[in-house]
Amino acid sequence: MAIIDVKNLTKTYYTYRRGSGFTAVLKSFFRRERVCVNAVQDVSFQVEEGEIAGILGPNGAGKSTTIKMLTGSLYPTSGYISVMGYTPYRDRKTYVNHIGAVFGQKSQLIWDIPPIDSFHMNKAIYSIPDKEFRKTLDELTGMFGLEDVIEKPTRVLSLGERMKCEFVMAMLHRPKIVFLDEPTIGLDVIAKQRIRSFIREMNRHGVTFILTTHDLEDVEQLARKVIIINHGKKVFDDTLQNLKMNLGAKKIIRLVLTKPMAEIKLGGIKVIEKNSDFEYTLEVSLENSSINTVVKQLAEMCEFSDISIKELPMEKIITEIYENKDVQ
Amino acid sequence: MMNFVLKKLKVIWAVALVTYKEWSAYRTHAMVSIFVGPVYFIVQYFIWSAVYSGKTSLNGLELSEMLKYFGVTTLIGYLTMDFADWNLQMLVRTGKFLTFAIRPIHHRFFALSQKIGHRVLGLLFEFLPCLFIFTFVFRVNLRPANYGWAVISVILAFFMNLYMNYLIGMTAFWLVQASGVRSVYLLLQSVFSGGLVPLVFFPEALQKVLLFLPFQYVSYVPAMVFIGRYTLGNISLPIPQIVGLQALAVLITALVNELVYRLSMKRFTGVGA
Amino acid sequence: MLKKYLLIYFECIKISVSTAITYRLNFLLDNFIMIVSNILFPLVTLLIYGSGAEFPGWSLYEVLLIQAVFTMSTAVANIFFNGLLWATMHHVIDGSLEIVLIKPVDCLFYLIASTVDFSSTSLLIGGIIMFAVALSHVGAVTALMVLQFIVLFLAGVCVMMGISLIMAATSFKWVGNSRLPEIFNSIKYFGRYPQNIFPKAISAFTSFIIPVAMIGYFPAAALLGEADVTAFAIILPCLAFTAAGVLLFRHMVHLYEGVGG
Repeated sequence: MAIIDVKNLTKTYYTYRRGSGFTAVLKSFFRRERVCVNAVQDVSFQVEEGEIAGILGPNGAGKSTTIKMLTGSLYPTSGYISVMGYTPYRDRKTYVNHIGAVFGQKSQLIWDIPPIDSFHMNKAIYSIPDKEFRKTLDELTGMFGLEDVIEKPTRVLSLGERMKCEFVMAMLHRPKIVFLDEPTIGLDVIAKQRIRSFIREMNRHGVTFILTTHDLEDVEQLARKVIIINHGKKVFDDTLQNLKMNLGAKKIIRLVLTKPMAEIKLGGIKVIEKNSDFEYTLEVSLENSSINTVVKQLAEMCEFSDISIKELPMEKIITEIYENKDVQ
Repeated sequence: MMNFVLKKLKVIWAVALVTYKEWSAYRTHAMVSIFVGPVYFIVQYFIWSAVYSGKTSLNGLELSEMLKYFGVTTLIGYLTMDFADWNLQMLVRTGKFLTFAIRPIHHRFFALSQKIGHRVLGLLFEFLPCLFIFTFVFRVNLRPANYGWAVISVILAFFMNLYMNYLIGMTAFWLVQASGVRSVYLLLQSVFSGGLVPLVFFPEALQKVLLFLPFQYVSYVPAMVFIGRYTLGNISLPIPQIVGLQALAVLITALVNELVYRLSMKRFTGVGA
Repeated sequence: MLKKYLLIYFECIKISVSTAITYRLNFLLDNFIMIVSNILFPLVTLLIYGSGAEFPGWSLYEVLLIQAVFTMSTAVANIFFNGLLWATMHHVIDGSLEIVLIKPVDCLFYLIASTVDFSSTSLLIGGIIMFAVALSHVGAVTALMVLQFIVLFLAGVCVMMGISLIMAATSFKWVGNSRLPEIFNSIKYFGRYPQNIFPKAISAFTSFIIPVAMIGYFPAAALLGEADVTAFAIILPCLAFTAAGVLLFRHMVHLYEGVGG
């Protein structure tokens, strides 16, 4: 059952171009050049209930704009959005009772007081009954191990602790859908892992997550469905598996040689990096031969003391998609 | 209906509590008023005592009433001031206003709850200590001519200030550099609210203009209600009437406020922040 | 050595001016706010006299003279010293005073020099205009009176500097209390009016202990031919007050260095 249904979503802004320099600014008082920005163009997708969907895209691609329209805080220029049967921007006042959101850079926590007090404030705002509040609070703080942390003023907490509290605050009212805008930005590796396992755990309880991110590991570890938006247009909408298989079967092979080779030339092999005559990083296309054959061929050509075989890194896949707009 | 009211009260309580806690972390902040208020009053005391030598009445006010005026405007200030304009502007500028758009709460209601929390602190750490100092140390008579009307007038001033400041704060939705507007407004307010000197000291022509502006309802009107007589621009009104007028002014400001709020939210959801 | 400091100061002024030009609109706005918010108390004086009352023994222009001098002194202090408080508070809160301390110049000098701020230029101009107007209505002024005025005015500026220093020094302890200026500004109020309206106890305090009366009253009195020995005797407390400010500030920096912020 699709819990989110988006059809032909479009958002166009008009901004005004002001020049720099005194005369240009003066002129702009009288006549301003209108610039049309197509932030989101004709985007359609669906998200199933209980899914984790990742929205990727370079800066300025239109991800945040899309999320804002999904949360009802921005209305579209045209198109159709339905989330849990609501039209977000039209039904906002009732709709927001059922969603949670964490915006990476914009905190809901109040700076000078402990998170627990901010939580109580949301309890009143969302009209959460006492018993339920206690239960959810204990469950969420337990998952993060935040019992002591929530009693300290927010300003003394580390970024990781604050982010975790941010998640708790967004989910106290047990929303069915949670929107995340760059949730792991600026966090250290351990904090990121904790947040990701929290998201997975909550997802197992049935919560649907939509997250926008730059961090490809977020996508790899969490998303089953991946949507890529570039220049306001959707350029990819499929499962993570298919994303990886997208650029054809390719592998990355790193070799450390015992005997130096001036070059390595082989059909279907591209040298990506050469640190010296002893260290090579190769990109291997498996369209026409199997990995077995390629490794045999390499073993005949050179003598190596170390070999590692990896998948094409996500970055490369994404970058290629960003750069060719019509890959599907 | 009952449920609705109860829910609203719960929100006010929660937000006010949070705001109270937030600011009581800065108790010394509030306590500065305990020094500044009395010092300011002392200076006013000697100025007006000197100015009144050889005169019983000036612009319709006696010396004791002048002193009452300055004492009362200072104390009322502790109960009615707020930073709603600054808070809202900061939320819009930093983009944090978004976190309110995605929660089921009307932001102005949130601002009201915040103000209640703050002013409870103001009551405890500014109003009460200064009241004590003015009444028992300086021996100024601050008793209102009529307690009932005085309380009502102060409550109306509380709301008037909130609605006016909130209106100014909402300019942040429309102008990128709204701080200029804010500064001009604050300046006008500080002079024409009567906080500097009773409005009857201004030229009569100006007083007639001030009759139609909202500034007087924040300080001048409640102060005059305490003194028991209201005059402006050569027009005198009995206390019940001026309080009624004040209530009307608050109502009008509230309506304008709601109108601008709806327009602002439309703009916010159209353009984003 | 002196030359080096003069050069640095000159550079700082250049930077302040070019910043003002770059952010023209802000600069104009700040100037507008500064002048309007600081001429409210002379406005009250005008209203008082306009209502047919007066400060006994003082004509309108005589009182305005005191307030004009106070305004000019405020403007000078705002331009040259007031940045010190905010810079110090900012450094203490961010823990970034080290950045200043590792420079090969005196810390206090650097903070004062780098915070020169011309947003009070309009206030200075306004004060001078008010001063000229008031002066033209108060009777003959001799060269001696002008000399006395200059000496006392400078003493008043020293008091302003002392207050800035003490405020900045206390901000080390009372970190982040942005209402600190209000406390000191409220004491300055006493310097805006003829001293004879205050009881002896208060005017003794405002002359000898925290000599705010030197900011407006005494220099103006000189131009009215009323500067007596007392006025000059008060120069001593003024200088002592300023010296105390410098010592206190240096002491706080020393403590900061010991604790590391």
